[in-house]
Amino acid sequence: MSYKEALNKLVEEGLLNVFGEIKPNRKVYSFDWSKIRELFTKLIDLVGVEGFYVSTIIGTDLINDGTIRLDYYVVFLPEEETVVFRTFLPRESPEIDSLVDIVPGVLAGECEAYDLLGIVFKGNPALKRGFFVPKDVYEKGIYPLRKDAKV
Amino acid sequence: MAVTKVVEIPYTLEIPVGPQHPALHEPLLLKVYADGEEVVKVEVYTGYNHRGIEKLAEKNSFYRNIFIVGRVCGICNNVHANCYVRALEQILGIEPNNRAKYLRVLAMELERIHSHMLINAVMAEMIGFESLFMNIMLDRERIMKAKEILTGNRVVGDYMMVGGVRRDINDEKRDKLIKILDKTEERIKYYKNVFMEDDTILKRLVDVGILTKTDVVKYAIIGPPARASGVKIDARASDKYDAYGEIPFNVITRKEGDVWARMILRWDEALESINMCKYILEKLPSDGNPVPDEKRLPRRFPPCEAFTRVEAPRGELTYYVMSDGKPMPYRVKIRTPSVNNILNTAHVYLGHTIADIPVILASWDPCISCMERVTVLDLITGERKRIHLKELARRREKWVNPRYSI
Repeated sequence: MSYKEALNKLVEEGLLNVFGEIKPNRKVYSFDWSKIRELFTKLIDLVGVEGFYVSTIIGTDLINDGTIRLDYYVVFLPEEETVVFRTFLPRESPEIDSLVDIVPGVLAGECEAYDLLGIVFKGNPALKRGFFVPKDVYEKGIYPLRKDAKV
Repeated sequence: MAVTKVVEIPYTLEIPVGPQHPALHEPLLLKVYADGEEVVKVEVYTGYNHRGIEKLAEKNSFYRNIFIVGRVCGICNNVHANCYVRALEQILGIEPNNRAKYLRVLAMELERIHSHMLINAVMAEMIGFESLFMNIMLDRERIMKAKEILTGNRVVGDYMMVGGVRRDINDEKRDKLIKILDKTEERIKYYKNVFMEDDTILKRLVDVGILTKTDVVKYAIIGPPARASGVKIDARASDKYDAYGEIPFNVITRKEGDVWARMILRWDEALESINMCKYILEKLPSDGNPVPDEKRLPRRFPPCEAFTRVEAPRGELTYYVMSDGKPMPYRVKIRTPSVNNILNTAHVYLGHTIADIPVILASWDPCISCMERVTVLDLITGERKRIHLKELARRREKWVNPRYSI
């Protein structure tokens, strides 16, 4: 199945919603954070393990909205088309299921997002403070990329 | 609870190498656990050189950040600056003229040539072929000179700017560059032959560190290691940014997937880049001044998000820039190719011998090797039992940190 058909199917099933676009021409779909594993399991079923890879995970602290936005940049192969899966987590307790056992390529992205923004990926055994952040910063319990963090 | 067992780990057998080590070219610690000669587990430790550039970018203006991102990486500073500048151009809706686009590609391809030469030289050093290392590095200097002619500096060029490039070239410079490229092409062909025919190199690199096509996609490996395993991914071909849509080039792939294939692929890509550079210099468009007037550039950035990709010498590099309408970016996210290629490849070393470790490491960059063996002493029966690390690694949930072993 082509990636476009797969995305349409996921939209039909209610796992994805059309959200907008990031320049240049990157389609953005939103999803419910509690259904992330279901979403990616279904995606693997539809396009196969060799059909996509997660290029990067980008967390953004939207302090005025009280949320942390989490974007999964998925590159579909062989077209190499980048599509964004977007979700919003509550800023006070940003938690989401880890994908590390079904999409191992997210390991670095999850570890980084935890260390810099404090997003907990439940089920990832490698999460650890100090992955990137120096000891003097993480010992104070600071997540440097939070907007209220002063480093 | 009473202690019943003591696990003795002889400290003499644990040799932590890194984050600073002659064989390690990055501030990174890799711990290799070996059962005799066989590697059974690899752990990757990072965090030795985090400079907080993303946070720094949020505290500086959009334009000042061009100089900050150019210093993320010394080797591929132009691709970093290009990726960021193109994100700004997307936000502002500006497009540089064709001459500027061609010159940008020229700067980036020169970077690819010297980066590929460098890593091949490092590989020669890793396998003890020091004279080859020195020869390649000597020829690499020619490309550094070419970069200096084009950008004004042999390493950090600061060549990219919103709407164009900082310097134009004249006919005299063009002729000099073509001469340098001709000489270097000859040398690269020679080095490629050495890597194809030399017995020592073949014995050390062939069938080592094989990465399958499925693993490449599953573990999000990108760049030359992915292409050497038969996965045709290249942001230049798919995104066709700047002038890549107009300049003819081949995306080179190989099927072998081993260390040797990665190195040969880099030589082939360097040759392809030389052809691209020559094409650019011969067909350089003259549709205006590629250097925009800095004073006329827009000062206000509208609220917008941009995500740009670039094919850096080591693979896909991405920049995400978010503007909320204020003078400084709300968020800048950089994802370098090494993050994926180094952190997600711990499984490739398993089953190889310790002597293969530096070779596999050099095929993505860093290097480390160490060995460890464990004795378990049962305090109740007094029995001493030697457990191979291979077995211990299987029970790693209980014994050793399961970091990165998926």
